[in-house]
Amino acid sequence: MPKLTIDGKPVEVAAGTSVIKAAQTLNIPIAHYCWHEGLSVAGACRMCMVEIEKNPKLQIACNTPVAEGMVVHTNNDKVKDAVKWALDFHLINHPLDCPICDQAGECKLQDYYMNYGLYSPEMNQRKVKKSKAMSLGDRVVLDQERCILCSRCVRFTTEVSKTHELGIFNRGDRCELSTFEGRPLNNNYSLNTVDICPVGALTSKDFRFKQRVWFLKDFETLCNGCSTGCNVTVSYNQNGVFRVRPRVNQEVNGFWMCDEGRDIYKHTNKEFRLDQVIERNDQVGGAAVKGKPVALAIQEIGKSLSATVKKGGLESIALVVTAQYTVEEYEALFELFKNTVKSPHVYYWKNNEEDFDSFDGLLNRGDKNPNTKGLSDTMTKFGFKGTWEDFEKQATSKSFQYVVVAGPEDQSAYPDLEKKLEILNKAGEVIWLSSCKNEKFKNFKWQIPMKSFLEKEGTFVNFKGIKQNIKAGMSIIPTSLSLQEFSKGVFESMGGMA
Amino acid sequence: MSVVKRPEGKANWYLPGILTGMMITIKHMIFNLTHRKQMITIQYPEERYPYSDRFKGNHILTVKKDGSLRCTACMLCATYCPAECISITAAEHDDPSVEKYPISYEIDILRCVFCGLCEEACPVDAIRMGPEHQTAAIAGENFIYDINKLAYRSGLKGGVQSKVDDEERHSRGL
Repeated sequence: MPKLTIDGKPVEVAAGTSVIKAAQTLNIPIAHYCWHEGLSVAGACRMCMVEIEKNPKLQIACNTPVAEGMVVHTNNDKVKDAVKWALDFHLINHPLDCPICDQAGECKLQDYYMNYGLYSPEMNQRKVKKSKAMSLGDRVVLDQERCILCSRCVRFTTEVSKTHELGIFNRGDRCELSTFEGRPLNNNYSLNTVDICPVGALTSKDFRFKQRVWFLKDFETLCNGCSTGCNVTVSYNQNGVFRVRPRVNQEVNGFWMCDEGRDIYKHTNKEFRLDQVIERNDQVGGAAVKGKPVALAIQEIGKSLSATVKKGGLESIALVVTAQYTVEEYEALFELFKNTVKSPHVYYWKNNEEDFDSFDGLLNRGDKNPNTKGLSDTMTKFGFKGTWEDFEKQATSKSFQYVVVAGPEDQSAYPDLEKKLEILNKAGEVIWLSSCKNEKFKNFKWQIPMKSFLEKEGTFVNFKGIKQNIKAGMSIIPTSLSLQEFSKGVFESMGGMA
Repeated sequence: MSVVKRPEGKANWYLPGILTGMMITIKHMIFNLTHRKQMITIQYPEERYPYSDRFKGNHILTVKKDGSLRCTACMLCATYCPAECISITAAEHDDPSVEKYPISYEIDILRCVFCGLCEEACPVDAIRMGPEHQTAAIAGENFIYDINKLAYRSGLKGGVQSKVDDEERHSRGL
């Protein structure tokens, strides 16, 4: 392992490591546009210049492997001057439309100008004009004038998604990024190109002009879109959640995430949420009664459950669970059913069974639940084995008094929802726990608002069995409950029956 | 220690003080009667005192040559605003040379402290503070100024034109 010194700090890294990576281990920042840890080295931007002693000229840190006894300077006047000039050339044809550019605030051109530039432009020539606001596909918009031709996105489509849609055409200052004729950028990983674009050339159609990035706050959590469990950063402010971006975790998702997972925030925003208790009141002809306090509703549910249990119908209460909740929530709910309700009727509702085991070869899995493994593990732990088929059989042979359903958070992942709701409706009085509202639930006895995955803490177990935690980053519907809170409330109002 | 010396003689007598005061009043009255144009008293609200163009009063959103809003919805004014009284909703324009424009621009004038930071932050001369200073209204919603009020109110005669013109900048190769 070669030892080298960067800015006076000694470091020992594996042979073949580049200088920029060695500097990263020491937390020494080196300016760069084209280098990305998850992609091959291009050496196109010339921003990562460093001085290596006994070397007559400055070298690029991204493509220079470390050597024994190397002495590197990253911050002296010579380096700063080189970076300044590289930046100056990058900005020659830059349109400077920061006011209308979505990248403003997290743009590397702005950052490095403040760190290394701060010059007055010395170019006297007219700027080269190119196309603006070109649609590259369903999700990505390209502004050719802002592009600095770092080729990160081109390398992404060649090396990671292997779909080869993007290319750099023409030469010199007429060089431009574009798609090939008749082949739009429509792969399921296209928004990663927006993330890795260091400037505002590629922007997301979904996020475009919604918010300025400095109005947003970030918190780290997991994607609940499928059983891969990609690590993500969620950006939000008081108006709701606005975007989801991948976070590095080499064990799970590397640097990327799929476009489908970017939409997971949509069903968590206020307008799609069940924000109050809805009760079907049979005394007024089945009309919906809204706005009952959650605590009161839970009390009533607990009382009616305990009345059913006392009547001797130990087995007339069923529980149906989807794999969209955390391990801790399942434990609380199963504890309630095993020890208090004492019903063996616990069933696992599996969705989209046809493509449940499909996998696109990169990240996206057919199992659209974040915690399938966590659920099956917890069910085994409590000795529950029921599946949806068992539930249907049971429901046809005899009818349950109450069916408690921990319903799906993301209903779009349940294509046969309507059919299953009918079966549930026939099976008994449904106590529906869900974070989303839907007109189709109006026949249910109770609808209790649940927390979305952004509002609660807990553990998701991904398909590999890796346990990862989600964090309560924000509060969207303050009255909503987690399954733990629901179970606790029901347990208490059932009088803590043993 | 400083000692205030009171005008003893005059203060002890009632009449000299009254007469001195009357002299000043009468002097002004005669001056006003003979120089009516320089008279400071005006018949508000029929007559109004014109404020300087540099007065930081009610906001004006400037317009382009074709009469559309100059604002690009960059939100710098909303970011800078210490009173947080500006709320903008941006949208995508059909014309790719415009790209971004505000579909709503609202100023809560009761919150505004008239500091002028919005006009300083604006990169395209889209918002200015004008000489209008009367903000009285009857209903609460009238204090939230929208695009119609800010850019096209009757006093502005079809809108104030911005000094920054994109077409001109582009033709100069900027």
